[in-house]
Amino acid sequence: MSTHDLVPLERARAGLDACVHCGFCLPACPTYLALEDENDSPRGRLLLMGALLDGSVRPDDPAVGTHLDQCLGCRGCETACPSGVPYGRLLEATRESLLPHRPLPFVARVVLGVFANEWALRPALALARLARASGIAALAARLLPARLAMPFAMLASTARPERQGYEPQGDGSRGTASLLTGCVMEGLFTEVNRATERTLTVNGWTMRTTDGQRCCGALHAHAGDADTARALARENIAAFERSGADVVVLNSAGCGAMCREYGHLLADDRAWAVRASAFSDRVRDVHQLLASAGPVMLPVPAHARDVAAGAIRVAYDAPCHLQHAQRIVEPPLAVLHAANGVSLVPLADSDQCCGSAGIFNLVLPEVAERVLAPKLVRIAESGADVVATGNPGCLMQIGGGLRLSGSEVQVRHPVELLDESYARAQRPG
Amino acid sequence: MTSLAAELGRIVGDAHVIARATQLLVYRSDALPGLQRAPALAVFPGTRDELVAVVRALAAAGAPFVARGAGTGLSGGALAEGITLLGLHRLKRILALDPIGRTATVEPGVVNATLTRAAAPHGLHYAPDPSSQTACTIGGNIAENAGGPHCLKYGVTLDHAVRATVVLPGGEVVTLDRGDADRGDGSGGGYDLLGAFIGSEGCFGVVVDVTVRLTPDPERVITLLADFMRVRDAADATSRIIAAGVLPAALELMDQPTIEAVESSVYAAGYPRDAAAVLLIEVDGAAAGLEDDAREVERLCRAAGARGVRVAHDASERARLWQGRKKAFGAMGRVAPHLVVQDAVVPRSQLAELLDDIAAIGAQHGVRICNVFHAGDGNLHPNIPYDAHDAGESARVHAAMTEIMTRCIEAGGTITGEHGVGLDKLPYMEQLFTPDTLDAMCSLRAVFDPDRRANPGKVVPVRACREWHAAVAARPATHDGGGA
Amino acid sequence: MSALLRDAPATAAQAATIIRDAAAADRVLRLVGAGTWLDAGHPVRAHAELSTEQLAGITSYRPEDLTLSAGAGTTLAELDAATRVHGQWCPLLPWGDDRGTIGATIATATSGPFAERLGRPRELVLGLECVDGTGRIVAAGGRVVKNVAGFDLTRAVTGSWGTLGLITQVHLRLRARPVVDESWAVDVPASAVAAIEAFARGPFAPLACVMMGTDGPHPEAPEDGHWMVRLGGNEANLAAARAALRAIGTLRPLASEAWDELRIARAPVERALRWRWDPLSRRLRERFDPAQVLNRGLLGEVA
Repeated sequence: MSTHDLVPLERARAGLDACVHCGFCLPACPTYLALEDENDSPRGRLLLMGALLDGSVRPDDPAVGTHLDQCLGCRGCETACPSGVPYGRLLEATRESLLPHRPLPFVARVVLGVFANEWALRPALALARLARASGIAALAARLLPARLAMPFAMLASTARPERQGYEPQGDGSRGTASLLTGCVMEGLFTEVNRATERTLTVNGWTMRTTDGQRCCGALHAHAGDADTARALARENIAAFERSGADVVVLNSAGCGAMCREYGHLLADDRAWAVRASAFSDRVRDVHQLLASAGPVMLPVPAHARDVAAGAIRVAYDAPCHLQHAQRIVEPPLAVLHAANGVSLVPLADSDQCCGSAGIFNLVLPEVAERVLAPKLVRIAESGADVVATGNPGCLMQIGGGLRLSGSEVQVRHPVELLDESYARAQRPG
Repeated sequence: MTSLAAELGRIVGDAHVIARATQLLVYRSDALPGLQRAPALAVFPGTRDELVAVVRALAAAGAPFVARGAGTGLSGGALAEGITLLGLHRLKRILALDPIGRTATVEPGVVNATLTRAAAPHGLHYAPDPSSQTACTIGGNIAENAGGPHCLKYGVTLDHAVRATVVLPGGEVVTLDRGDADRGDGSGGGYDLLGAFIGSEGCFGVVVDVTVRLTPDPERVITLLADFMRVRDAADATSRIIAAGVLPAALELMDQPTIEAVESSVYAAGYPRDAAAVLLIEVDGAAAGLEDDAREVERLCRAAGARGVRVAHDASERARLWQGRKKAFGAMGRVAPHLVVQDAVVPRSQLAELLDDIAAIGAQHGVRICNVFHAGDGNLHPNIPYDAHDAGESARVHAAMTEIMTRCIEAGGTITGEHGVGLDKLPYMEQLFTPDTLDAMCSLRAVFDPDRRANPGKVVPVRACREWHAAVAARPATHDGGGA
Repeated sequence: MSALLRDAPATAAQAATIIRDAAAADRVLRLVGAGTWLDAGHPVRAHAELSTEQLAGITSYRPEDLTLSAGAGTTLAELDAATRVHGQWCPLLPWGDDRGTIGATIATATSGPFAERLGRPRELVLGLECVDGTGRIVAAGGRVVKNVAGFDLTRAVTGSWGTLGLITQVHLRLRARPVVDESWAVDVPASAVAAIEAFARGPFAPLACVMMGTDGPHPEAPEDGHWMVRLGGNEANLAAARAALRAIGTLRPLASEAWDELRIARAPVERALRWRWDPLSRRLRERFDPAQVLNRGLLGEVA
């Protein structure tokens, strides 16, 4: 097997050499903990990548397929790695290299196709909202056998109770920001996007809209379809150049991590490399922006105190693409601290992946389920009323899992909780 | 071998037996990737009953095997060349935790740091803290008699193990203790079989469960970072502190190349990059008087020529200083693609002299040596980052290491303080011990594993074993699994 | 016993010859240190005594290393005197008096009142040299404070009552004496017994904390217990420890000699050790002394 077929991986080889095989990544890897085989650990997968390069393993070897497919791409290993192995990039390079040798599974191709095409994505999301609103999703979640029910449970868990909006007051002194609205976020978590805009306004940002946005391409890049990811990236870069806001803000950890990688993704594209890295430099996570201002705490007037101070027990679960890929740990906690009525309770192993990982839970539901199981136990042990997490995949994976297990615990985006406290503060007396 | 795989599959489930070559790749090495030996088979029992059944099946088949925890060892000890690798990482239950009696009973695959986390709500911790503690297993710690920075004050694994259930290679399940267990009327006694077992590197049997002591968290901890313009001065400060009778909880030395590697990694700890060496010193215990101990340590460091001494202000700064130390070995991964790691111990009074000699040996062979070690114990870790694809450089690295080890032995030291002999340090054993002593070690092994089926070919060169010679002479055509 | 022939080798090699000859002639040797210690309660029908009296004296001591090597016949008194001048001690200090030898202390793994805090023989022995029942001269362990090279023969031999080998030399870990070292007799009311037990296990970690009562190591719960407490540390630490003790009971100063008297008073009474003779232990004895030359019958083993 000649290695020139594996060009993307070959070019990432220096990252492989950094691995000293110390094994510190093992306890940080959710699939190693769940599947208990070192082939399903970062150390094992890096070794398989190296073996691909030196030709001792063929790209069509079943071991390669199984164990690399089973990686969630959570990048928890990067945080644990003392040698700075760029695991996420190596994984994507490997998947890109393997794509010509082994096509993606059918489910993955369908999902990625939908997200890459507006004409398919909009109706699909509309259909999903219909299923949610009509109660069909909730019904299917209740009636179908567990594995078939999970997608419906995930969908049903995205429903939000209706609530009154409020007119956010802010001085706009901190600059202009524009939200990358995202496909799933705008399609199923519309309220979170609006809450993001309102809370940023209260915290001194002037919000601008950006037309012509596309899917961020994260799902495609993770699956090895780098070409589609690059095409989507170029469209987004151009769109946000046109709208011209100081910062591009994201409330989805996965999309944010991807946008920060545009510079790397297009580094070899002479026409786009500079524009891409300028874009990536402008990317901010919403928690970062809010936390850098304090965030603003609005006192809740007595007449609006339908929630006693500290009455909602909230456990924070860190999305992998926030804490590992973007290294943002404290800001979401600061956002929750600023939300009146919230008392934070500790969640054991909150740094462990929930098993969502983009479309992983649709492609490999058995593995996703085994990764999720301990998370649900820890949530129950925490005694929380609400789990807060800032990524659509995690919101749905945990939300669906809780729903199927009969739990009453709600899953919310941290920004929603801050927004609700702002709403109470402004309720007319 | 296929019938053995099928038999083991019946015990643990086929999903937990690996026979495919490409899936055995990752089990070819531990954390010393310079040594690679492919196993023929890997089996991962999920319960203690399965473990015992697996060992009995191996015994019935006369099959040699190697037990492995998390594969974080640094001596090539868990390599199973052409034989069965017995992975214990699925046995990860904490069976009991007694906060009053301050003990815990665990399965061998429990990760060291996991036990400390479980004990934390009771104000207790598991004291041995090897740098790999976030990943390494208690079973592996028992096999290697693992140490760690804080064993300067608190002792090594040996000092914290109370009792172990062990399955011997022949399949017999026995309970081992230190020989001083109370047998009711105070008149009990026995050989220290557990003491003999700890550190036997998987050659005596496999831990089924082990009871260890838990240590109360100190009332207060003060962590200091002293930096020096000469490595020699840092070594001198170490000797002064030890001789003065202050017993720090830990006393670690890192030299400039190590500081550079750490500061360039995600675990940058804020060590001064321009220092020739830093000492990371911790004193702990009762709050009363602890500041006096810290002041005394600071005074001794300054007297030895420290440029500055800094005290960690809070828990997060302390954690950061320690992260840098504990991840230093991994951080060297960014310096060069490969790394040799050594683990010699020398008398503490000779540290400064030895470090000078090591630097001279490095210079003479043109290799770059990074020192990061437990100075308080005199336990050196000279590490050399290099490129194994460069044959010339590899030869120079090997020559330098051999000279360093010889120098440490001459100084009255030993070849390993905590990593074990494994395969890596086997060549030095005959340099360190007399033939009678090595033969006595073989006798001790024979008590537990007369057929030499558990981790064959490790720790003691088989040619040092007179009984083996006799056996070979009696049947010259037979291949012995213990061939080194 | 004194009527027996007595061999006193001056080197390990001489001891090896004596042992090999005895094994060949099926003779039994009774190992003897100072001869002050009681046996394990079982008669040894020996043909001769093998004494360590010629294997005496400190062979190497560098105070900066806090380690020391000595012949097995060196007395505890000699070790104490040699280390004291450097502000150090060998804190084994077992029950019994200081005429005892270090070899016997290690061979029997006998500890004393300071073991809990400062270490038992099994923790303080870094290495040793011994001659086993087949005449092999075994240099186990080493002289440095941390060592995992090879199988741990040191642990096997320590506390084996001479049934695996004659210890000829030991390498020990020493401790620095504390800056302040003071002893107190504490009268503890019955209501405060839990408090002093907690003190013994707490952050002040006294060098020793022993209940006296009326007599014997475990008196029936005395109404007003008397305790002996030894504290070590720096001035500030001891001031706080003393204050904590005063809150528990009434303090009277004690001379440090009181500990020597206590060790002698509590020297083990004669009794038959009930040795654990499981299959592993029998195999161990067989491998190192197949002819049962050394201390045959001492541990009640079946010949």
